[in-house]
Amino acid sequence: MAATTPKLVVEGASRAFDGAPALAPTTLAVAAGEFVSLVGPSGCGKSTLFNVVSGLLEPDAGRVLLDGADVTGRPGAVGYMLQKDLLAPWRTVLGNIVLGAALTRGVTAADRAEAAALAERHGLGGYLDHYPHALSGGMRQRVALLRTLATGRDLLLLDEPFGALDAQTRLGMQRWLLEVRDQTGSTVLFITHDVDEAIFLSDRILVMGPRPGAIVDELAVDLPRPRTLAMATDPTAVEAKRRILATLHGEAAA
Amino acid sequence: MSRSTARAVLIPLASVAIVFLVWALIIRLFDVQPFVAPSPLEALEAVRADWSILGPLALKTLAETVYGFVAGAVLGFVLAVLMSQSRTVRDLVYPVLVGSQAVPIIAIAAPLVILLGFGILPKIVIVAWIVFFPVAVSVLDGLARVDGDLLALARALGGSRWRVFRVIRLPATVGPLFSGLKIGATYAVTGAVIGELVASTGGSLAGYQRQANSSLDTAAVWGSTLLMTAIGIGWFLLVIGLERLATPWRTRSTRRRLGFGAPRRTTTPPGDAP
Repeated sequence: MAATTPKLVVEGASRAFDGAPALAPTTLAVAAGEFVSLVGPSGCGKSTLFNVVSGLLEPDAGRVLLDGADVTGRPGAVGYMLQKDLLAPWRTVLGNIVLGAALTRGVTAADRAEAAALAERHGLGGYLDHYPHALSGGMRQRVALLRTLATGRDLLLLDEPFGALDAQTRLGMQRWLLEVRDQTGSTVLFITHDVDEAIFLSDRILVMGPRPGAIVDELAVDLPRPRTLAMATDPTAVEAKRRILATLHGEAAA
Repeated sequence: MSRSTARAVLIPLASVAIVFLVWALIIRLFDVQPFVAPSPLEALEAVRADWSILGPLALKTLAETVYGFVAGAVLGFVLAVLMSQSRTVRDLVYPVLVGSQAVPIIAIAAPLVILLGFGILPKIVIVAWIVFFPVAVSVLDGLARVDGDLLALARALGGSRWRVFRVIRLPATVGPLFSGLKIGATYAVTGAVIGELVASTGGSLAGYQRQANSSLDTAAVWGSTLLMTAIGIGWFLLVIGLERLATPWRTRSTRRRLGFGAPRRTTTPPGDAP
């Protein structure tokens, strides 16, 4: 990792709102193709960090580097997805997948063909003409992720994307996300407060302390891929969970 | 005709029939004399008998309604968009907007006729005056209600201010726009008739009614009123039809596909309920 430029570097980024610090100076790096999760208590500044990385929020100090280039405060460089699917109700599944193109330069026939192929590859081929309201919550989140992928950005920021789904659907979505990532090789920065989810998905986990957030622990998840459900009880996973929970609760008690 | 279409058509027709029935019953039960009020059949008969005159007059009222409606809708929409873009514009325009509706329309009609003449223009202005307000308020509201997270997402995807407006905000106003248009549609005919009444020339539906009134021809008075009502209802139905065409995502689960063949798939997707 030392030899190559990391996909993403956050250098001492901090942010306060009306004088109240929300994000303490934070530094992190994500290698190309890596899946990194951020876990932390609610209100710890995860989403502030997320907005800084996505360029929507200018940090008070620090920089955001993407492939070594400074993108601080410049939106449009990374893919982005939230807990809410935020699909445009007036656009079909296909129309939502090509939203990125519509917002930047206008949709071409090639964009549509590519989006249709993408949907076909990831199990949404039969729903291109559906309006979002006709889809289930899980399906809508799939469309939202494909919309993010279709922008062609290879760093995906996912902010609790499955937080609103029921446990069963969420499990299906987590496996689907890993499948998609295996095929696309995207780099993922994933925010969640679900420790099990972070362990199941990630190569590495960053643990944030309570507000103003800062990264207080970091651990690699040394489980082979593809991941299986059985790995949840693997000693590595159990030890990771124990350590994360201890960190979170130790911080919360302090 | 499918079951649901039959329901959608037959039940409103039944409600019209009930109104006419109650009207007929009142005339019959209270023994109302024809010079006081006609039965529905007499009123309808009066329209049929004078159709050669009433037909063209109704078309004229319809034209005033449509032109004024379109002008008011465009004005209301443009005002709402301008107001949504700048706080200064909004604070500047809003009092005028509200003030315009505080002016009794019947009082402003006479000065407008003096100002604009006896032609179609004052009628169009009056209808537009009535219609632009609900449209402006609904669209402004719709623009303000666009999900802030969706706008943030659009910016994060690299959308410029103009693109975000065109791709996200503008389509989001279609629903609210039609809410405003539907309110406007019911009042539009009233505006046209007020204009006709104030101009008080012959050659208009309101003029015809006034003449019939002075000769105590109640069947013609009620008949022409029915005609005005029919124009209003017809226009309202047309707006609803346009709404269904313009907002297919509200009533359909898939996009309408032009051309031959069945839609791709109409099954409900698996997984949890929508």
